[in-house]
Formats: sequence, C-alpha cells, structure tokens
Amino acid sequence: MREKPYKHLRISEHRGGMSRLAVDLPKMAVATNIAIPATAVLFGALGYFIHFAFHFLTVSFIFLTLVNFFYRHVQTRHTLLRNFGIIAQMRYLIESIGPELRQYLYASDTEEKPFSRNERAEVYRKAKNADSSQSFGSLLNFDNHEIKLRHSLYPVDKEFQQPYKVTFGEERKIKNTYTITKPFIISAMSYGALGQNAVRALARGAKAAGIPMNTGEGGYPKYHMMEDCDLIFQMGTAKFGVRNNDGTLNDKKLKALAKKPQIKMIEIKFSQGAKPGKGGLLPKEKITAEIAELRGVPMGEDVISPPHHKECTDAKSTVAFIKHVQDVAQLPVGIKMCFGREDEFRALIKEMKKQKVFPDYITIDGAEGGTGAAPKSFMDESGLPIFKSLPIVNRILKEEKVRNKLKLMCAGKLINPGKQMTALALGADAIYTARGFMLALGCIQALQCNKNTCPVGITTHDPHFQKGLVIKDKAVRVANYVKNLEHDFEEMLASMGCASVKDLSPENVYLPRDAECTT
Amino acid sequence: MNVKTIITWIFQIIPAVILLQTLRFKFTADPMSVEIFTALGMEPWGRILIGILELIAGILLLTPRAVLGAVLAFGVMVGAIIGHVSILGVTGQHGPLFLMAVATLICSAIVIHLRRTQLPLFGKTME
Ligand SMILES: Cc1cc2nc3c(=O)[nH]c(=O)nc-3n(C[C@H](O)[C@H](O)[C@H](O)COP(=O)(O)O)c2cc1C
Repeated sequence: MREKPYKHLRISEHRGGMSRLAVDLPKMAVATNIAIPATAVLFGALGYFIHFAFHFLTVSFIFLTLVNFFYRHVQTRHTLLRNFGIIAQMRYLIESIGPELRQYLYASDTEEKPFSRNERAEVYRKAKNADSSQSFGSLLNFDNHEIKLRHSLYPVDKEFQQPYKVTFGEERKIKNTYTITKPFIISAMSYGALGQNAVRALARGAKAAGIPMNTGEGGYPKYHMMEDCDLIFQMGTAKFGVRNNDGTLNDKKLKALAKKPQIKMIEIKFSQGAKPGKGGLLPKEKITAEIAELRGVPMGEDVISPPHHKECTDAKSTVAFIKHVQDVAQLPVGIKMCFGREDEFRALIKEMKKQKVFPDYITIDGAEGGTGAAPKSFMDESGLPIFKSLPIVNRILKEEKVRNKLKLMCAGKLINPGKQMTALALGADAIYTARGFMLALGCIQALQCNKNTCPVGITTHDPHFQKGLVIKDKAVRVANYVKNLEHDFEEMLASMGCASVKDLSPENVYLPRDAECTT
Repeated sequence: MNVKTIITWIFQIIPAVILLQTLRFKFTADPMSVEIFTALGMEPWGRILIGILELIAGILLLTPRAVLGAVLAFGVMVGAIIGHVSILGVTGQHGPLFLMAVATLICSAIVIHLRRTQLPLFGKTME
C-alpha cells in the first residue's frame, strides 16, 4: 500500500508489483452493515416524531436488515456474503449481468465468440434482405495469420458461369439419386434441440429457397414433413425413429421412412464436432408422449445415445453397416463425422475400397461446430477444426483415389460467403450450416440452447418464448439468407476465375502455415 | 405433493384469508378503520393504499408467486405493529387487530423462509 488517494479506493499491490485501483470491500461492508439498521432506526424516529408515513421506509430497511442478518449469520454457502453481507450481493448482481453488459456495451464488433457481432450482422442483413456492404475498410486483421481467398486476374463473366449442380448417388448409379442446385444445406438440428416453430420456419424457408434440410437425430420428422421441403433423415447413434428397443437398426422402420417422398437421403451420424466420440442421455423427465412416439423410445426411463452405433465397432463392421443402410433405404446414404485421427480415417477408406462400398457422401463437421448441449471439455478441446481437417480428408481421398466415389460436405461456422468459399475451395462439394440458419431465424447468441429458455423461441419448447417466432415471417428470412448467400457465392466464384465449383482448388486459398486454421 | 408443500400452502392461506377478509372494513370506510387511519394521520389515502397493498399481497399469497405476497404482507404487518406499539396500543379496543397482525406477520415470515430461494434478486444466494 503506497498511498490513499480516496477513502474507499486504494492502490494495492497486485501480481508482482503491478498496481491497480481496488475497492476496499471490507471497509465498505462495515459501513453498509452499520448503515442499514441505523437507517431503519432513523426512519423509525422520523415516523414516530414527524409523520407515520415514514414507516414505509422504516419497514423497508427492517427488511434489508433481516436479509443482511441472514447472509452474515445464517447461510453458510456463500463466503463473500457471510463475510461482508448484502453489499457483496452487488458482486453477484453485476457478475450475473456481465455477459449482457459485455455484449451490449463493451465487446468490440469483432471479438465475440462463437460469432462476432460483425459476422452475425452479415447474416441478419442477408436474412432481412438489407444491404450488407461495408465502407472505409475491413475490421479484421491482416497479419498474415489469417486464411484468405486468392482471386484471379481474370474473373469469369456471368454468361460463362455454369449453374451449380451436385448429384448424390450418381457414383453408385442408383435409381433414386438426389440433386441439389444450391451449395447450401440446413445442417442437422433435431426437433428436441429446436422447438416446433423453429423447425417449421426452417423447413418452410428451405422449401421456398429450394434447398434440403437435415432432420437431426430427433426421430420421426413430423414437424419437418409438415412443410414439404426435401429432407435428409439423420440417424444418430441411438437411431431415434428407426430403432429396435436395444438400439439396433429396425430395417422395417427405416424402409418405411425412406419411402416417404420428402426423404431424399439418409445420413448416418458417427460423431459431431461439438462432442466427438460422446453420446448423450435423454432424461426421462424430458420424454413427453410425443417425444417417445417420434423417437421410438419407452416413457419413464432414461434413454442413452451411445457414443457409437451398436453395429459399428471397427472399420469392417462400419463399412458393412453403411452398405446395409444403403440396401435397406434405396436412397443416397451419407455419413457424418468430426475428423480425429488420420490413420483411422485412412483405414476406413481402405476398408471401403476392399469391400467396394462407399457412402454417397461424407460430411466433415469441424470441432468448432455447435450443439444443443455438450460437456465443455468436449466442446472446447476435442476434434479438429474444419479448415485443418478438410484439406487432410480431401488429400487422403485423393491419395486413395476415391475422391470421385463420393461427395464431400462440411460444416463448422461456415455462415458467411467467404468462409463457405474457402471450404468449397479446400475440397467440399456443398456447405452445411446449422447456426447460420439459426441466426437467420433471429438467434441472438444468448447461449442458452440447453435451458429451454431461448429468448427468441428457437431452442425452446416453451410456448411463451415460441410465440415470438412467427413461422411465416421467419421462413422468409431463411429463404432470403439463402438467396443472398447464393448471390455472393456466384460473385466470389467469378472473381476467382472459376466457371463452376469444380474449377475451385486449394490454390484459391492462402493457408498460413502455422496459423490456427479455425473458422 | 409432499409435506413441505402442504405446510407452505397452509401458511400462505392463513394470512391470505386474514388480509382479504379485513379489506371490506378499509374499502367501505368502516368507522373503526377511518378512526385508526385518522390517528395515524393517513386518512383517507393511507387506508386506501394499505388496502390495495393488502389486496395484492393476499392474492399473490394464493398464487405460485406467493413469496412476493409474503414479502408485501410482512412489510405491511411490520408497519401495522409499529402503529399499534407507537400510537394505537396493543391491548384494549385494538387488541384483537394487533394479534391478527402478529399472526399474519409470523405466517408470512415462515412463507418467506420456506420460499426464500424464489425471492427476486436475493433468491439465488439464499439456499
Ligand atoms: C441447436 C443445435 C442442435 C444440433 N443438433 C444436431 C444433431 O441432432 N445432429 C448432428 O449431427 N448435429 C447437430 N448439431 C450440429 C450441427 O448440425 C452442425 O454440425 C454444427 O453446428 C456446425 O455447423 P455450424 O457451425 O454452421 O452451426 C446441432 C447444432 C446446434 C447448434
């Protein structure tokens, strides 16, 4: 302690001699703890001698005195409150509104995570069909550590551009191939993680935009189907909707589902970026009659999503399972995974070659991917980010000479045209995004997807919160988002001298060698 | 419904009934009520204001937001007791009213204690 410029503030020693201004909590606490009852007495006196109405204040301060007494002498859980009393509440109060304060006032436009205000604003503007051009200059860094796109000296004129078209299942020459004409797909989000309004708004928007939507692993896609858009049915490790009671595949149910005209493809999910190698548990309290029916699980007991499909324990059984699903569904069948180990992936591909069985597409989900709920350690530390994994996957597929046997898709914060182009150049055939579409629906990144309290009614089943999400209006936003993404996609493609996505190559991307290649 | 819930509700219903059934004296300007508030120097506005506060408290005590009603009732009753002790007297003519105030105070204090985690602002740190 060197000097005392103010009564309640002092310069205190802090971390190796660095000094900082600190509030002298102990002294302020003593003052408050005396002041509260003293004020009660004061008002009591005023009430007695001057006017009885002062006792309204007497009563209030008596109440505060009692609360303070409770904090200091009764409760034992909160150290600060026990030591300092009600004034320490300030800390809890201010701390509890910290995230909001930071988001509203202090966070800069480029620093919020997972998506900065800048990134979100672009999606909002595209969804609202507002001009998303910017002036004066970029707000991002240019330190050679960033991934950048390389344009061409010779942009392609509009009339020479070829329309985007990717056909799944063409490699196997199956009857029910599926063709997309825009490179965007709504990534897996289950009914369960999303409420019904959000699901229907996305589905209606997808229909209007002419893109498919992945159902997520929430079982029978009742709400998705209401809007008549093209669907990719996702089969999670618990196989909700197409399972036997022991968690194995029920061929009959899958066959019946695959026959529905809206179901265009099947996706077997092995893992996802937010929680690679982690299963899940659906607690029995959350299993309503509807969820039990849609997911095909019994009521009254917890349902476990295992970390892997029961049928898949090694490369051989995994490839055999893919083949089995292809045979049963008679549709294009893809797999989804977050990339982990190179040797394992290569072994899987070699096994595919051996059995002459290839999924119709592989989706690589980056470790930066989102989820309704996952343990923090998995979300933060597990799996490879998309711009690291995608080039490796593409390389292995080429080295094994099977890149032409399947399509490659990817996800992981690919919500803006620049990032999407990067992924396409690094080898992807199409882009999956989940949170991009959530933002288009009006997501404000409140980070409460696991709490049923989503303030914008997306990841909640509470009718009170869902009321604000009007399907009709938000479906338009979804369609606008796709339309404006497509516009930027075409312009950027032209700027890189490419007539179609097929002309893109990793040469179009500047990948800094030692950079953290995260989106 | 477990025992604790039932007990909590009993302690909510008692003060709610006391509060609500005395309201008619305040709102109909019963001579005794007028006399009390004249003595406190708050006639008629205090009588109406306290009546409204008691009405809100009584209703809230019968809803899931009971803790708010209990806090309100607690506050009004502390005020009432101060009134009795300092001006109106605790025995004699106003004695029964004083006892009712004490009973309501105790009941609402118990409700506050049992439901303290539901208090706004303070609740989270009151386990
Ligand atoms: C609310 C929410 C629910 C999700 N549910 C699923 C799911 O059921 N199955 C799945 O494979 N991925 C699920 N995901 C992951 C996404 O499909 C996607 O792979 C990931 O979020 C990366 O894309 P993004 O960065 O564009 O959001 C979910 C993500 C979110 C945010």
